[in-house]
Amino acid sequence: MSKPEYVEIVEKVFDKTRSKPTKEFKYIGKEILRWDAISKIRGEKIFVADLINLFKNPVFVYSVRTKYAHARIKKIDVSEAEKYPGVIRVLTYKDIPGINDVGYVIPDQPLLADKKVRYIGDTVALVIAESLENARDAGELVNVEYEPLEVILDPLKIVEWGGLREKEHTLIHDERGSDVVSRYKIRAGDIKKAEQEAAVVIENEYRTPMQEHAYIETEAAIAIPEPNGGVTIYAKTQCPFDTRRAVAQVLGLPFSMVRVIAPSLGGGFGGAEDVGNEIAAKAALAALVTKRPAVVLFTREESIIGHAKRHPMIARYKHMAARDGALLGVEAEIILDTGAYASLGPFVGWRAIVHSTGPYRVKNAKIDLAVVYTNKVYAGAFRGFGNPQVSFAVERQMDLLAEELGIDPVEIRLKNALRNGDRTVHGQLLDHGVGLVEAIQKAVEAANWYEKRKLYANQKGLLRRGIGIAVMYHGNSIGAEGADFSSATIIIQRDGSIIFRTGLTDFGQGAIQGIVNIIAETLGVPPTYIKVEWPDTAATPDAGPTVASRSTVMGGNAALVAAYRLRQRLNRLASELLGCDPEKIVIDAPDVYCSDDPENKITWQELVEQSFWKGVPLQEFGYFRAPPAEWDEETGQGAPYMHYTFGAIISDVELDMETGVVRVKEAVTAYDIGRLINKTGADLHAIGGYIQGMGYAIMEDLYYSPDGKVYNVSLSTYHVPTALDIPEKITPIWVEAGFRRGPYGAKGLGEPSIVAIAPSIANAVANALGGRVEVSKDVNKIPLTPDYIYSIIKKHKLLRK
Amino acid sequence: MVETIRVNLKVNGKQYVLDIPPDERLIDTLRYRLGFTSIKEGCGRGECGSCIVLVNGLPRHSCLTLTATLDGAEILTVEGLAPEGKLHAIQVAFLETRGVQCGFCTPAFMLLTKALLDKTLDPSDEEIKQWLASAICRCGSYHYYFKAVRKAAEYLKKGKILFDEKEVRKNLYKLPLLR
Ligand code: FES
Ligand code: FES
Repeated sequence: MSKPEYVEIVEKVFDKTRSKPTKEFKYIGKEILRWDAISKIRGEKIFVADLINLFKNPVFVYSVRTKYAHARIKKIDVSEAEKYPGVIRVLTYKDIPGINDVGYVIPDQPLLADKKVRYIGDTVALVIAESLENARDAGELVNVEYEPLEVILDPLKIVEWGGLREKEHTLIHDERGSDVVSRYKIRAGDIKKAEQEAAVVIENEYRTPMQEHAYIETEAAIAIPEPNGGVTIYAKTQCPFDTRRAVAQVLGLPFSMVRVIAPSLGGGFGGAEDVGNEIAAKAALAALVTKRPAVVLFTREESIIGHAKRHPMIARYKHMAARDGALLGVEAEIILDTGAYASLGPFVGWRAIVHSTGPYRVKNAKIDLAVVYTNKVYAGAFRGFGNPQVSFAVERQMDLLAEELGIDPVEIRLKNALRNGDRTVHGQLLDHGVGLVEAIQKAVEAANWYEKRKLYANQKGLLRRGIGIAVMYHGNSIGAEGADFSSATIIIQRDGSIIFRTGLTDFGQGAIQGIVNIIAETLGVPPTYIKVEWPDTAATPDAGPTVASRSTVMGGNAALVAAYRLRQRLNRLASELLGCDPEKIVIDAPDVYCSDDPENKITWQELVEQSFWKGVPLQEFGYFRAPPAEWDEETGQGAPYMHYTFGAIISDVELDMETGVVRVKEAVTAYDIGRLINKTGADLHAIGGYIQGMGYAIMEDLYYSPDGKVYNVSLSTYHVPTALDIPEKITPIWVEAGFRRGPYGAKGLGEPSIVAIAPSIANAVANALGGRVEVSKDVNKIPLTPDYIYSIIKKHKLLRK
Repeated sequence: MVETIRVNLKVNGKQYVLDIPPDERLIDTLRYRLGFTSIKEGCGRGECGSCIVLVNGLPRHSCLTLTATLDGAEILTVEGLAPEGKLHAIQVAFLETRGVQCGFCTPAFMLLTKALLDKTLDPSDEEIKQWLASAICRCGSYHYYFKAVRKAAEYLKKGKILFDEKEVRKNLYKLPLLR
């Protein structure tokens, strides 16, 4: 089969620029101000809720939620609520014209609860009223008769160690007949033999928390009924095309009648993926019923109990190594708690198992993973998507091995790290673009690792320091999770300005600016010429979901293909006008000239104007599809992702031995992102990802009452890092090992930026605690809250020495 | 009929006479009654700080303030930092230091900066941190915002308060603009 033209374009551009240092590019890798910065510092109306005033006579939609985390619904009576002043309608599942389901991967999640409620955020009715206050007050009058059922919060009540078999229990999803959502495994080599040959075997159990995204903008959607019976929805959603599918399904409308527009998002981090579908569907339903614009606005409390979280993990790991630190095998059982609904859980589970042995040469592995339901808030997509959980366990294990063997943590990682030419645990050959060793070396140097490690040995005081390293890899884009394509449109306007259309959303992450830089570099025009349109299912092409660290690579490739084709056409026309070879045309807008005759130039505007007269079309569509991923369900062998981002993180912490309080003082992050496309965005992302990862490591968790209510539903009880909590300095370092199928060699950074933060901090804390295996083994759970750390200090009597 | 209360407010330099319900929150008056949507609601409980506005020069959570209590007050939001076509030194500093990510928190951080720099043009590092700890940036731009405060102080010390927006664009990008 011959290569598609779009793959050839991407590879050609890579081959041509492979050896060109980033600093020699004109726009790529430069500190370019993001496209929307000025509207943001002017406080312009760019977020969904800012648009409410633009619509006349709106209705407000309030979600009445269940009082029980697990119960059968016997009766829903809305008659009292409907009589309340200002109430227009109260809707239940019976009022849904299409299919009552917003499940992301599997159809297990009703939009409005029908037979059962399965967690404390389930919606039982929608009150539509003249004001949000009316709607909320009326919500109190919705009468639901429940038959409460046993509330299960512990995944170990669903499955048991030693094979992860499902236990006898009250079923949460009776309709499915099982509360195990999905299972995955890896079988490589001979794990028994590896154990026999091992000089050391380290076994330990790990737990990670249910992290909340806590984006500052809570969920918002405005739906406007259209004259033809369709609906237009402005919604906070990361994936407008997925949202359209969900809304169309709920309303029983064809896709073409549902239009979803995603303005700027006030943060997403993966969390605005499926809740975007839910709020859009709720607003759309109300708009069609009332024939008026309908507004859904979540309070912070609704946001915290109502959108997907990071899956908590419980895992048992067994690592086997030779005396010299060479890894011989990894055995593990991993349980991911997806809460009440699968959401993206099956995909999270798959990503977790793919990365479950870390970025190391592992020839022998036996890993089992189960994603299970409980009655917690459902878990779904969150930056990292299963990888931060397993990386925490793996990187703690590597430190325990190092301690047991008396090897430096950096050395044991260098000994086992994946390099060019190695195969992953899945048997995937990494024939190029593996910058892990370089990342480790650069981080070690920048952090003064060896010196500090010596300095921090044998401390006695009340304030002790510790330094820790963790490494990671992260598959780019969605891999074997589904059809992986992207598309983009570039239209050069007659005055020379450029419109760029993509269905990818911007929630602050900087990837869109990266794509703008790619277009600018390819066409030879300043990024300031390029206007980014809001993602709009009626106007922008489907670029696939804005998830999985795929925007720069997949969206970037699609835009690169379109820009490249435009550039070829413009080169040809310019060569006619200027009288030299098309290859010799230099576009450095506003100037266009032949490389051997720079004095004789025309302007970009002239070139564009001539295109109109000479019939050279100036709009182009670009498409890119990732090579199909391979995955054998029985063995976990294949090539799960097209390529990987690599990284090494070093954290330097201070530990208060009297209180157990951990503070991160300094950190270094080194990521191999193939090619640095957007320097400003990449730096911000490395630092912002670190801060969010630090929250995950030391302060963030959701706490539940035994009956399944969330205790900390506000930002004063769910703590995220503030200006007073952050390290003095976080130093981002970039490694550019290239990737032949990425735009100019680029790989993704979105999720990688959080993956190895928590283990680097935990490893630093274990170092501060003295680095003895029996103590270190207790550092096996995040968040590292003061009470938890203090309990370790007390248990091992560490303060008295 | 809900009773209303008459309130005189000066918002961003303009005088308003409003008849409002006594329980109306300042954030709703500003966002929905008057259309100043730069102020954001992130929690409604005084926790995230994204609704911060300046009332008589001092930061205030507009989600916890009843408009009816503010008769005669002067209120500043980001819309009022600079007139049309101009940008305030603080806005320019936030642009130049490039910390804006999703930007949802940025208006609040700029107003906190304004209140701090109105008090002193030589804030210590600790002071900057303390002031900026009144709002949350989940994207994690804090280090950049610290820099922005210092940069803005530099401008203000030199008496540079308002900048021409076109000039700023030109200098920021150091790239040709289309027009
Ligand atoms: S909205 Fe006022 S502090 Fe959060
Ligand atoms: S830039 Fe997103 S919250 Fe601050």
